[in-house]
Amino acid sequence: MFERRLYFHIDWLLLGAVLLLAAIGLSMIYSTTYVTLPEGGGHAGPRFWVQLYAVGLGMLALVILLALDYRFLAEHSLVLYVGLVLLLAYVLLFGLRAGGSTRWISLGFFNLQPSEFGRLALALILAMYFGENRRGARNYGDLVIAALFFIVPFLLIAKQPDLGTAVTLVPVCFGIAYLAGLRLRFIAIVAIAAVLLAPVAWKVALKDYQKSRINTFLDPEKDPRGAGYQQIQARITVGSGGIKGKGFMKGTQGQYKFLPVADNDFIFSVLAEEQGFIGVLVALGLYLFVILRSLEAARLAKDRIGAYLVGGIISGFAFQVIYNVTMSAGLAPVKGLTLPLMSYGGSSMIATLAAFGLILNVRMRRFTN
Amino acid sequence: MPSTPLMPDDRRSLTQRLTALQYLVAVAFAALAIGFWIFQVAQHEKFREMAEENHLRKLPLPAPRGVLLDREGRVLVDNQNSRNIALVREQARNLDQTLHILAQATNTDEAQLRETVERRRRDPPYRPIVLIENATEAQYIATMARQLELPGILAQEVPSRKYPGSELAAHLFGYVGEVREDQLARADYEGVEPGAIIGQAGIEFAYNKFLMGTDGSNTVVVNSVGREIGKPLPGALVPAREGRRIQLTIDADVQKATEDGFEASGFNGAAVVLDPRNGEVLSFTSRPAYDPNAFAAGIDRATWAELNTDDLRPLQNRALQGRYSPGSTFKMAVGLAGLEEGVITPDFHVFCGGGQTFYGRFFKCWQKGGHGSIDLRHAIEQSCDVFFYTVGNMLGVDRINKWATLFGLGVKSGIDLPNELQGLVPSTAWKAQFTKEKKWYAGETISVAIGQGQVSVTPISLAVYTATLANGGTRITPHLVKAMDDGAELKPVPPPPPQSKVDVSREKLQAIRDGMWLVVNGDRGTARRARIEGKDVCGKTGTAQVISNQGRTAARTTKNLRDHGWFTFFAPRDNPEIAGVVFLEHGIHSANAASVAKHILETYFAKKDGKPLPPAPTRDDMHLDLRDPFARGSGVVGDQ
Repeated sequence: MFERRLYFHIDWLLLGAVLLLAAIGLSMIYSTTYVTLPEGGGHAGPRFWVQLYAVGLGMLALVILLALDYRFLAEHSLVLYVGLVLLLAYVLLFGLRAGGSTRWISLGFFNLQPSEFGRLALALILAMYFGENRRGARNYGDLVIAALFFIVPFLLIAKQPDLGTAVTLVPVCFGIAYLAGLRLRFIAIVAIAAVLLAPVAWKVALKDYQKSRINTFLDPEKDPRGAGYQQIQARITVGSGGIKGKGFMKGTQGQYKFLPVADNDFIFSVLAEEQGFIGVLVALGLYLFVILRSLEAARLAKDRIGAYLVGGIISGFAFQVIYNVTMSAGLAPVKGLTLPLMSYGGSSMIATLAAFGLILNVRMRRFTN
Repeated sequence: MPSTPLMPDDRRSLTQRLTALQYLVAVAFAALAIGFWIFQVAQHEKFREMAEENHLRKLPLPAPRGVLLDREGRVLVDNQNSRNIALVREQARNLDQTLHILAQATNTDEAQLRETVERRRRDPPYRPIVLIENATEAQYIATMARQLELPGILAQEVPSRKYPGSELAAHLFGYVGEVREDQLARADYEGVEPGAIIGQAGIEFAYNKFLMGTDGSNTVVVNSVGREIGKPLPGALVPAREGRRIQLTIDADVQKATEDGFEASGFNGAAVVLDPRNGEVLSFTSRPAYDPNAFAAGIDRATWAELNTDDLRPLQNRALQGRYSPGSTFKMAVGLAGLEEGVITPDFHVFCGGGQTFYGRFFKCWQKGGHGSIDLRHAIEQSCDVFFYTVGNMLGVDRINKWATLFGLGVKSGIDLPNELQGLVPSTAWKAQFTKEKKWYAGETISVAIGQGQVSVTPISLAVYTATLANGGTRITPHLVKAMDDGAELKPVPPPPPQSKVDVSREKLQAIRDGMWLVVNGDRGTARRARIEGKDVCGKTGTAQVISNQGRTAARTTKNLRDHGWFTFFAPRDNPEIAGVVFLEHGIHSANAASVAKHILETYFAKKDGKPLPPAPTRDDMHLDLRDPFARGSGVVGDQ
């Protein structure tokens, strides 16, 4: 399966940028979870080691998904998709409950979060579906089928509840549909429908805590001790970093826990605090490079399946990065949405590296038959 | 493998769409970079300050109050370290829950905690509000153990006031307490922060400005739950400056002797002992007393309510605020007025037949058989009423008033303690101004002449009066401060100038003093118990009736209707150096007061002569006379 010449077509630059981002993330996790001992000195926190471990597993997944031909995977995408749906159903029924939601399957040494793999499975099956369809995505009937593929995992994940992760499925759908030739007019119709349905969704679908998050976003000062706290603290964290930052492990907002979930949702805020605007530009530059380079891989893809697959995956990735970074600066409602490659989270890291395995895969096999 | 290669048409459309996506992403990232630039570069200063406010906490370091020393430098009032449990509202996530958990953990009244927080609601949210003063070890441990559930709750080490003598001289020292809202509004409390501990009574109150000291502060790094972390920052510690030490004029031994005397007598009352030469107060007591330590620890409601509703009124400073009829102790003023106004000479004699009629009314002498022909000296010795009725009648009330006032009765003493009240020596002007009747009747003067009727005095004023008799007419100002710390050493504080001074002929004054000497040393003196060999103690007894004889008969004798007993004294007769007054509330006989005074004087002279101090007297040592003079068939009649 893996021919030696393929090795020369691996996009080392993209892989390098991805690993660099993971390394930056690791150093930020090291900084925020460092354990200071009362008698002096200290050591890296357990989360750092978990994350390092996850990077290792992720690299393994990346290599596997690079070695298998993506077309082989696409062919079996239905199996993968059904498998994922079953896993999500299993999570809802027997999953590990923590912090008010059920998201994990305990594997003993590791808690797997299947929803993180939802984007991959969805991208594969949608790429397969649209890629095999000669007419592209021009028929409304096709779109209904695509929508069904989307809605099942979406609902299962939203039910956990984990609206943040569920929502990341949306850009995957739109990305593939758009590349498959979906008319902008249609996208506009969906957007208008969404706006019109928003008040209904507000009343029917959103839970109180979600409503309060949106309310708070619109006016954080109203409730500075409660829901608005995170947003205000995020801005203080970022703003106090200045141009050069406060220095590695010298941030006050993240280190002294004024900023909640500093190693997770708000890791970019900590980066901004400790490494300053310069660090922010470096990280944003790397992310931008990764996204543009991946879109380039889609352009170079040999077939539609490859192009759609890459497009779908990178759309989800880009959406997550942009939303999380915006939230890190307190400019978007706080949502449990991690920053891929940097936030603490084993499943997320493995799934993200696996996804880049697929992107590298498509580019690497652009000349094969 | 099955796959659909891209056709040229497809590729063009795909390329266009991918390019559009690339632009979209690039624009989004540019917007993000601008957003971060605004926060991190343009508005950096604002956010830097906010981050600092977040994690830097200025903790107040309360200054210990100045130590109070006695005239020999012995510590009377000190400080000890105690732990307060305080709340920083800014860091409390859920105030209700926090207070609930704290109340539970420390076994305190949740409502009271809430009330404390409510009272201080206008303070800045970062300033700690003390919820539990002087927390016990158990409360401290319970709080620390649940710190994670109690964000914003912290323990402070603070100096708190310690009164080693407990109730000893409680009214003199006073007590401390949290500054009240109405006090904060006043100019003399400028710079005092809400929640500060200030003097609320006694010397603590009067000299609060000097005793308070200057609070310091410590700037520490705290995390989001307010826990201190990190190393101290350079320059973060501004040490507290202790309040100024004050050396009092009080002599701890004399003070203790005074308290011991009262203790042995079993009576309540008041005593003031001072140096008649300069007004330095050597001992000062009012009983029953309270324990000022209870206030230092933040008095609880129950104790406060108890102190306020106690029928014996332990919070009242009887020495300054108790106004009682002086009884026969007033007779020296009448005698002196007679001599100075030229109405009588020291050899003037009056015949006492056990009573006499004035203005159609018969006035009894306390001695049923009468004293016979008696002169001034012996009239004082034996407290003959008829003699003073006669002199008083010759003088008229206004001349009595003049001399009583010159010697300190009916006016404030001017002591450096708050809330002194004024007694009353009546005059025609007083009656015209303050009573309905307006007109003074000559018959009223007769009662006044033996210290009854409307005459009332405070124990402190009677002490000043005695001192003025002792020193020859200088109405010294009683005062409590001998020296004050100027930051390096104790610097003497000059005594306040006398309130007034009157030239009294030595010879005339000597007659009065001789009479007072006879009271203690004469064969028929009324206070022979106070006699100390070789010390020429002079004094005068007095009984203040709580109820008229007729009223008493009607009410039957009950404990709180028994007479008050006075004994005023100075010693030695020539060149007196100690003077004072002992007032026994419902003390039945003034001789009992003389017993208390004797222990005070014995202690004073033993100390002066370098002899061992007499031990605290027992009840038997006091030789108390507890016979009720009005009980049927007792045959005892109270001296006057």
